[in-house]
Amino acid sequence: MAPKSLTPASTNVVQTLWKAYSDHTSDRLKFIDAFLVFLMLSGIAQFLYCVLVTDYPFNAFLSGFASTVGQFVMTASLRSQVNPENKNEFKEISPERAFGDFALGSIVLHFFVYNFLG
Amino acid sequence: MFFLPIVVLLISSAQAAILTLQTPKIIVTSAAGAQSRSEPISLTEPLSMPVTLGKDDTLKLTFQIVEKDGGKGVQPHQTFLRFYDERSGEEGIQPVRVTNGGKAKFELNMAKPPLSLPPTSNTPLKVTLLIGSHLHSPLKLELFDLVVPASQPLPVHTEEPNFRPLPEIHHAFRPDQKMPPRPISAIFSVVVVAPWAVLLALWSQVIPRVPHLFSPSIFPFILTLGAFEALLMWYWIDLKLGQVLSYGAILGLVTILAGKQALSKIGDNRINRK
Repeated sequence: MAPKSLTPASTNVVQTLWKAYSDHTSDRLKFIDAFLVFLMLSGIAQFLYCVLVTDYPFNAFLSGFASTVGQFVMTASLRSQVNPENKNEFKEISPERAFGDFALGSIVLHFFVYNFLG
Repeated sequence: MFFLPIVVLLISSAQAAILTLQTPKIIVTSAAGAQSRSEPISLTEPLSMPVTLGKDDTLKLTFQIVEKDGGKGVQPHQTFLRFYDERSGEEGIQPVRVTNGGKAKFELNMAKPPLSLPPTSNTPLKVTLLIGSHLHSPLKLELFDLVVPASQPLPVHTEEPNFRPLPEIHHAFRPDQKMPPRPISAIFSVVVVAPWAVLLALWSQVIPRVPHLFSPSIFPFILTLGAFEALLMWYWIDLKLGQVLSYGAILGLVTILAGKQALSKIGDNRINRK
């Protein structure tokens, strides 16, 4: 496979993908997507610190990293359950129920993270 | 006042009779039969010179055990000779046979030493007579010092080194973990906080419409969710586990009620909009 370089063809693909995404995604989903991007960046930053510098308060690293990962998982599932295009997948789960699950799961996750943070 | 003589009489009769030795004598004979030393033992003064035995000599000790007041011969229940090496702490006990009349004789032949002789070295052995009897006070008499040829040293028990103080253990501990230098910590603090800036930038582009956020049926739910986060942060700073769990339980009940109300309202809105 040829190494990926910014040839006009591949730039076009990326641009088309981005245009499709921003045109066809509702504002609410973009809102959640921004949060997902943030969580991913935050997790990567913490992991880089642990690998490059030190894992000295190891419990702090674990709880910080686990908070980003756990929150990412829950937000991703919220996004997929709330998306009107997925209505057929989640027949018994209304978007409100999904949000309730998300809220409860987040609170429990935060509790355990704060417990371990130290 | 006139009880005093009766009390004294009672006390003296309660004290048991005291034993003593009559005519204690030692004789040292060489192998050929010549007597090299023969003298009585004084009970009050120790012998001037320790009794020395060569490897073929014989020591003969004779005495008679009598009561101090009366001079009657006594056969006590226990009569022992104790050989004690002060420097090494080794001792040997030799029972001595005493006749009915209290006469006792003990022979120590160095050509055939008795088993009761302890391992000897250059230090002279102290010889003590120990007498025990039901009817009399016990008696312990230092008789004389005995010098015998040195014996083989005691064999060392295979496990003996374990009973001496062992070499001191020096534990080596892993050194304490240290924080990284400040500039690096500062840089990485910025790196980790930067995603928040990215988030705020992205969100400023995409604010979704929240038409009913502050309506009275929905806002309490938002408030209780915020209160939960505040409670958890308070727990991180200050609270204890039992407190946060009990406050959380109460707040949870309120949240469930508010949530039911808010989410059903939103659901109805959504269905009506369809």
